[in-house]
Amino acid sequence: MTVGLGHYLSVAAILFTIGTLGIFLNRRNVIIILMSIELMLLAVNINLIAFSTFLNDIVGQVFALLVLTVAAAEAAIGLAVLVVYFRNRGSIAVQDINLMKG
Amino acid sequence: MTFEIAGYQLLPVLPELLLLTGGMVLLMIGAYGGQRTTGLVTVLAVLLLGATGAAVLMLPAGRLETFGGSFVLDDFARFMKVLALGGSAITLILSREFLSEPSRRIFEFAVLVVLSSAGMMVLISAGDLIMVYLGLELMSLALYVVAASNREDPKSNEAGMKYFVLGALSSGMLLYGASLVYGFTGTVSFTGIAAAAKDGSVGLVFGLVFLLAGLCFKVSAVPFHMWTPDVYEGAPTPVTAFFASAPKVAGVAVFVRVVLTAFPDVLQQWQQIVVFVAIASMALGSFAAIGQKNIKRLMAYSAIAHIGFALVGLSAGTAEGAQGVLVYIAIYVVMTLGAFSVILAMRRNGQAIEQISDFAGLSRTNPQLAFFFGMLMFSLAGIPPLAGFFAKFYVFVAAVKAGLIALAVIGVITSVVGAYYYLAIVKVMYFDPPKTAVDPVRFEVGGVVAAAGLLNLLFFVYPAPLISAAGVAAKSLF
Amino acid sequence: MTLPDLFFYLYAGVCIASAVMVIVARNPVHAVLFLILVFVNSAGLFMLMGAEFLALILVIVYVGAVAVLFLFVIMMLDIDFKQLRQGFLRYLPFGLTVGVVFLAELLLLAGGWVVRPSVAKNVTAPIPTDVGNTEALGLVLYTTYIHYFQIAGVVLLVSMIGAIVLTMRHRSSVKRQNIAAQNARSPETAIAVRKVTSGQGLREQDSAEWVQ
Repeated sequence: MTVGLGHYLSVAAILFTIGTLGIFLNRRNVIIILMSIELMLLAVNINLIAFSTFLNDIVGQVFALLVLTVAAAEAAIGLAVLVVYFRNRGSIAVQDINLMKG
Repeated sequence: MTFEIAGYQLLPVLPELLLLTGGMVLLMIGAYGGQRTTGLVTVLAVLLLGATGAAVLMLPAGRLETFGGSFVLDDFARFMKVLALGGSAITLILSREFLSEPSRRIFEFAVLVVLSSAGMMVLISAGDLIMVYLGLELMSLALYVVAASNREDPKSNEAGMKYFVLGALSSGMLLYGASLVYGFTGTVSFTGIAAAAKDGSVGLVFGLVFLLAGLCFKVSAVPFHMWTPDVYEGAPTPVTAFFASAPKVAGVAVFVRVVLTAFPDVLQQWQQIVVFVAIASMALGSFAAIGQKNIKRLMAYSAIAHIGFALVGLSAGTAEGAQGVLVYIAIYVVMTLGAFSVILAMRRNGQAIEQISDFAGLSRTNPQLAFFFGMLMFSLAGIPPLAGFFAKFYVFVAAVKAGLIALAVIGVITSVVGAYYYLAIVKVMYFDPPKTAVDPVRFEVGGVVAAAGLLNLLFFVYPAPLISAAGVAAKSLF
Repeated sequence: MTLPDLFFYLYAGVCIASAVMVIVARNPVHAVLFLILVFVNSAGLFMLMGAEFLALILVIVYVGAVAVLFLFVIMMLDIDFKQLRQGFLRYLPFGLTVGVVFLAELLLLAGGWVVRPSVAKNVTAPIPTDVGNTEALGLVLYTTYIHYFQIAGVVLLVSMIGAIVLTMRHRSSVKRQNIAAQNARSPETAIAVRKVTSGQGLREQDSAEWVQ
């Protein structure tokens, strides 16, 4: 079976799901949550580049480049918040991130 | 003189350029002058935000576009930008006291608020999905930092952390949606998407769902509201006031613009989603607020409910509905800033007090503050003839005209439920035995309280300017 | 099956397997290392799709900077990771159910995707065939899309300010060397002569003075 766009989109969909799952399963470990967010953004980039290639449109790659840039900035801010939190608490366990509670 | 870059006219982005350049100048002043320039930088930032607002209004009228349609300055953008800039400026005025304590003397606070406002302006004027993403991130990254900006307070850190994690998750969803929409339409620009969406497809609807999920997060609408109570409670009060005003304006603006200009032909699909989100937000906000003891947490649930009411107008999908949303959000920003400045004014022996029981007998210890807070509560409850009533009136009328009668009825019922807890606060202030007196109110905080209270009280005398401005702004989207 | 297809399955397989390891690894250092593996393999996928510049940027920026930043923070903070894993198993069944449904929907969507002719004509900036990928990106990034580039720059500025505001602190408890004060010391300020009564030792106020 030759590899087409659907294959790349499937890889992206799987990565995105793993990223989302990672956030819900590791609700107390913020470092893993940050990594899961990176996985989600990577999935988005695969999607964008796949569309860009198969539509023959460079806008998708420009979008992916910007997502990469901004995601790096976001990771830096996230880790900074994490460091401040750790200094005050001595732990990174977010007791009740309350992702699913009202 | 030609004023352009890479062949693009720069005139429409003049206010943004002014704001960004000014923000960097402020950063330099702070960096070279040290933390003792905090007060000066904050004042200059307020002036800068005012000047930017004036610049927005002084640009030539009509619809201006640049960067190949990526940036749109229409009447809708003007209305929302002035509102967002006003919200940011008022929050900076309110945060003077917060910033005056030695340990929190951080001039970067004002710079971050300015840069965040620049993000909001980009977001409000966005004409394609990439601009939406970049504006959203510019706004949010600064917000994550200001939420955690009280470094010594673990609650503030935790608020920053939660806001960050959930905010980043929501940007991820929004991006995934944006990538699907791009893939299924071949373009990122709203006009292009609108043209391609005519023969709608499953994939497009999927993208739309993800996109709306991300946007719901930013405006704290159910089912993506869970960050709101914790962040509102944990963040320093001036920061909470900021979260409740300017970013909400920008979030609602982009929500309205995306669904109305990029997806006008898939109205059926997004209308269902928006109706569901509106009902869930109104119901959850109204019922969950009843048991709250902390006033900031209560305001968080109130914010969720009010976003629901605003979305009622949007779900009509008409110019009249959009006008209702604009009127609603403008009045809501005034009410919420007033309410938060009262909360900020409530200090006893230099300590901030946040429990609802602390308001007991305020009518005797500080009658003016109690009067204005009472008016704001009546207005938030939507009792005529205060401004909050008109806000609800316009969105419900638009919904009824669009045939969404059930939605309007649910809205009226939930606003009656919501009225209960607002009135309970008034009861605590006027009929419970007083506690010890609160500290005297600072001049600028009292000024904001009085201005917001009077605007609410006297809105019915002369409502025409806001209503007609919102009408013109809403028309520019269709 | 051609060679590129084989490579696709290799990269995609390793990528997904490592992504699973990222979220289930017991040790966060291992999780970061698996994250690096995910990035490197995705770079391979980017390369297969012809986005060479982004592939290399992914390796340089993500593996070189972001993943190392993660490692740095993990090493710097002395974190007890045992207690952080509580609740993982409790949410696993529910999470997996939701995840599988979610994934099935997304896969259905991905499988059914075709380039419709009406979509292909929407394309605004076709990829030029006469120049390389890097040049093609550069040609549009600084001209047609200059505004995105500028805003991305402001976003980076905000993140720099934010990181400094949050983490930089002037601690008063830290002892710093003051060379001028050291040079200004004289025997009078540095030495105190005491007469010690035999059998009693140094009295407390003497030693207190001495410390100064």
